[in-house]
Amino acid sequence: MLLFWSEEHVEKWCKDWNLPRGESMPLDKCCRLAQAWYSPDRREPDWRRRTINEAEALFAELALTSEFWRLPR
Amino acid sequence: MDTEQEKTALDKKVRHHVYDYVMREGLPPTIAEASSALSRSPDEVRDSFQRLADGHILVFQKQSGEILMANPFSAVPTPFLVRVGGRSYYGNCIWDAMGIPAMLKQDGVIEASCGCCSTAMNLQVMNGSIDEDRGIAHFAIPAAHWWDDIVFN
Repeated sequence: MLLFWSEEHVEKWCKDWNLPRGESMPLDKCCRLAQAWYSPDRREPDWRRRTINEAEALFAELALTSEFWRLPR
Repeated sequence: MDTEQEKTALDKKVRHHVYDYVMREGLPPTIAEASSALSRSPDEVRDSFQRLADGHILVFQKQSGEILMANPFSAVPTPFLVRVGGRSYYGNCIWDAMGIPAMLKQDGVIEASCGCCSTAMNLQVMNGSIDEDRGIAHFAIPAAHWWDDIVFN
C-alpha cells in the first residue's frame, strides 16, 4: 500500500509498473482504517487476529465493501 | 515443551515480548535477544516465531530467519519513517505507517514520499486523524491476495 501525491500519480505508477489499478482512498480514510485495525494492544494475552468476518465487518464500517476487500475463505 | 497448551502460553509471551520490544526500541528483537530475555532456547524462540508467522502475525527475513515484519513495524528501513514520542520506527506501507501512532496511542509524523515521483510528503497524525487534503493511499493488491506475497504489498 503506497502513498501518492494524487490520483494522476497513481495512474502513472500503475502504467509504469504494468499493474492494474487497485483501490485508492483519501488519507483521512486510510488513517481511520489504520486506527481501527491497529488500536488493539497486541501485547495483551487475549489479543487475537480478527476472523475473516470480523475483518470484513471492519472494512464495511468504512464502506470498503467491494469485491476488492473480500478476504479469502 | 510438548503440549499445545504450553506452546500457546509461550507464543503469548513471545508475542508480548516482540511487541513490547519494538514499541520501546523501534525495531523487533532478534532470536538471540528474545531467547535471552525470555530465558528460552533459541530453538524454542525460533519455533514460536514460526507459529506466529504461520498465524500471519510475523514475517521473516528470508536469508536470516529473523523478524522482518511485526505488523505494523518493519525491522528494516522502508520509505515510511514514523516519528512518535522522540523515537523512530519504520512502517511496512502507508497503512502500517498510520498504524504505528494508532498502536502507540500517540500523535506522530510520517516522513514519506510519493510512490510515483518521490516528492516528499510529511503527514501529521494528531488525535488519531490526518488533516491533509492532498495525498492518496493506493492498495494495488486485492485483499484476498495480500498474504500471497505480503512483502510486495
